Amino acid sequence: MGAAVIRLFAVLLCFTAASPALAHTGSVSGGFAGGLSHPLFGLDHAVAMVAVGLWGAFLGAPAIFILPVVFPLVMALGGVLGILGVPLPGVEIGIAVSAAVLGMMVALAARPPLWVAAVIVGAFAICHGHAHGAELPPGADAVAYSAGFVIATGALHLCGIAFGLLARWPRGRLAVRAAGGVIAVAGLVFLGRLL
Amino acid sequence: MTALFAGLLHPLIVPAHVLSIAALALLIGQQTWGRNVPMVYAVAVLAGLGAIAMAYVPKFNEEVLLSLAAITGLLVALARPLPEGFGSLLAAALGLSLALDSPPEVLALLQANLTLLGTAVGAVLLLLALLQGTARLRHHWQRIGARILGSWIAAIAILVLALRLVR
Repeated sequence: MGAAVIRLFAVLLCFTAASPALAHTGSVSGGFAGGLSHPLFGLDHAVAMVAVGLWGAFLGAPAIFILPVVFPLVMALGGVLGILGVPLPGVEIGIAVSAAVLGMMVALAARPPLWVAAVIVGAFAICHGHAHGAELPPGADAVAYSAGFVIATGALHLCGIAFGLLARWPRGRLAVRAAGGVIAVAGLVFLGRLL
Repeated sequence: MTALFAGLLHPLIVPAHVLSIAALALLIGQQTWGRNVPMVYAVAVLAGLGAIAMAYVPKFNEEVLLSLAAITGLLVALARPLPEGFGSLLAAALGLSLALDSPPEVLALLQANLTLLGTAVGAVLLLLALLQGTARLRHHWQRIGARILGSWIAAIAILVLALRLVR
């Protein structure tokens, strides 16, 4: 039964090559590609997202699991504030500081209690979400754009986690801490440009 | 036949529909619910499409569907045990709003009915196909992965709802 359903579904999937006329509007592929590329081309966003993953992996369980689950949800709340036009002063500074602080946490091998780590990451997630929410372009398919944007953010976390898993070995630990240091310096450079 | 295929593909290519069906499949796979929940979903899809065939014109259905996707995604992210009755209720609401968000564009009666038939098959088949995967997520890391996907779905749905509210 299971295999039959999957085979039938695969055939159905082949038909998606056609483009049927439907009531829903907006460019799905363009929206998704736009959302996917958005966090990747903002270096300040990208390094901070990688730092979240690095720190999660460095802290170990349960942080390694909790941070990637909590971050998108808190970021979405920040995004809602940005979309609704609720002003949040110093968002760009907050993003630069997030890279500096999170990178420094990894470089210094800081191990605060989980709730402290969650509050730090959550506060920065609101800044990142607000900036992304305020920059969402009109016209693109909103669902596809948001999907691409959230998936890209999650993928950056996973990259950080994957690299952070090297911390299990002594040399890997050094490499992870060095990566944290590089991210912290990058954050300070971003901050210097803003001030 | 074109109308039937257009209906078949509808749940596959409309992102809000894919999101909500994926969220439901993840939740059903995560909980130890029986076959009743997917069955209730299928019946709700048929009921909703039947309502459209009877010329019912729905309003704000994508918003309702996205709200349900956000709730379902949050429940997947929380990963707390839930009663099967609640699952049936959620599946019914999701199936109904998904069907009501799938009105055919064609005007000819036969074409419209074929599109609705295709949508019913596509929506049920997509859930069943995804369930083949989500029901097998037994390892710890797989369950964590499902929770992460749930949080992504909830985040996407919340962002889009906010956009709908503003624009």
